[in-house]
Amino acid sequence: MSNILRLVWFDLKPELKPPVWIVAEWAVFSVQVGIYGAMISQLVTGIGNYSQFFAVGLVIMITFDMGSHMGRHFVEHAHEGRLPYLLSLPISRSKLFLAITLQGGTELALMLAVPLTVTLLIIGNLTWISVIACVLTLFLLGFGVAGLMLALSFIAFKSSDLYTAIVTGLSTIIIRFSTVLYPFIFLPPQYASAAAFSPLTYGSDLIRFFLGFDPSILLNPYYAVSVVVALAISTLGLGLFLVQRLVEGVKSA
Amino acid sequence: MYAVETKDLTKRYGKTLALRNLDFTIDENEIMVLLGPNGSGKTTLLLILATILKPTSGHAEVMGVNVITQSTRVRQILGIAFQEARGFWRHKPADILRFHASVCGVPKAERDTLIQNVLTDLELWDARNKLFMHLSGGQAKRLEVAKVFVHRPKFAILDEPSSQVDLRGKRKIWAQIRRLQEEGSTILVATNEVREAEYLADRVTVLDEGRSVVCDTVGKLKDSITGGDIVELEIEAPKPEILKQALGQLEGTVKITNSSSSRFKAYVSMAESWVPRMTDTCYQSKARILSIRVTEPSLDDVFLHFTGKALKGTSNE
Repeated sequence: MSNILRLVWFDLKPELKPPVWIVAEWAVFSVQVGIYGAMISQLVTGIGNYSQFFAVGLVIMITFDMGSHMGRHFVEHAHEGRLPYLLSLPISRSKLFLAITLQGGTELALMLAVPLTVTLLIIGNLTWISVIACVLTLFLLGFGVAGLMLALSFIAFKSSDLYTAIVTGLSTIIIRFSTVLYPFIFLPPQYASAAAFSPLTYGSDLIRFFLGFDPSILLNPYYAVSVVVALAISTLGLGLFLVQRLVEGVKSA
Repeated sequence: MYAVETKDLTKRYGKTLALRNLDFTIDENEIMVLLGPNGSGKTTLLLILATILKPTSGHAEVMGVNVITQSTRVRQILGIAFQEARGFWRHKPADILRFHASVCGVPKAERDTLIQNVLTDLELWDARNKLFMHLSGGQAKRLEVAKVFVHRPKFAILDEPSSQVDLRGKRKIWAQIRRLQEEGSTILVATNEVREAEYLADRVTVLDEGRSVVCDTVGKLKDSITGGDIVELEIEAPKPEILKQALGQLEGTVKITNSSSSRFKAYVSMAESWVPRMTDTCYQSKARILSIRVTEPSLDDVFLHFTGKALKGTSNE
């Protein structure tokens, strides 16, 4: 276990000295919620306080970005020659993947620490169970997205440009065609059918359910739980399987 | 038991065969040098032994441990310095070595002293707190090999350990490799630098297009080239043509040429045995030897002899 923690800390340390990226993300979130969220909530009617809905949406977007970053990070490791070094260390492959996953989880936790706290404070009136369920959902969603990006990494081993283009395009579609910023029941039919394919739709509705939003504007929570769990297990499993096979083919050190 | 043994080892990348049924061994505490041009399969072999790549077929063992089925155990035995130093751009050399030493199980009490000694010896001490991305190519390469010298594994793999490093740095790296051997390590060095191979090798394996062409000590490889040694003679002889004929009939002579009546060039096998025979012949012919110069073939000549190609290739490894 100590080698896993060493690996996590070694990779994480430069991000924290100084933690510019993390603090910048917190600052962007604060500005988005404090200024844009406050203004837009004046325009939106029909779902109570929209700034709360909007804050949860931003937290989901950060989770998606971090999950996506975890997947890309792995691909960058391979391209920068860091992966062969990690693969040569005297630790098992499963422990190495565990270390990479733990690092991603820790980064996600750091990145979400302030935004999630602010969001919970804005919403208020919460129970410990609802907060824990919300945090668990965010991590499951983050790992699910990371797994999706890992599964796509086989493209990166052929062409990193194509990978970047596909991931950027996919990210745009997955976020825009979802219920991250708009409730499902208010979506036009064509838009709603596209949003049904976005994993963020289920993640964001589930979190809003746990945080006490009006269930009538959300998807069925049991359905959402099933989708989020299935997404995390299937994409992470597929991603790791594909990466293990692909990594073996990384010829150059 | 061999320290390293491969049997029928084959690695295929798509349609390209990087290794072809390679049978290869390294004795314990030996420095084996893999010599071959780019694309000959050197790096592929190293990466398979380091368990980073899996072979397409065949068998490989390090210290009796199977590299495919017991890869984690193999990684606990060996350490590798890669051909190119890349990766931890935002880390400092001292931190990189400290991390490497701790993960590789170097005792905490020895770590700092060992790191300081290696950094000082490789002239990296002043750069220990620079970010990796600010190191020069030569410094980054020295840091890459420093990982192995701090780890001091039972089996060390070094891929072109002194490429991009100046001559002074090369000598320091070579001295460290020798010291590692004295401490009991078995060492595998891949290179296409003839001088590095000649300086380090107990034995050399010549690789070409994924095959082991020949494997032996440097001396024996050189001796195996018929007529590879060149002996240039300046002689004062009463009858030079008769002397030339007599020298041509000596055991080991391949060809004799002369640029003047007193200057001869003899292409011979194993000059160390041929020269005494030559001096006897000169003495019997009442010829006086004014000067002798013996030139051995280089490993480049050895490579050319066994593969029909020059050592410097153009394709990618």
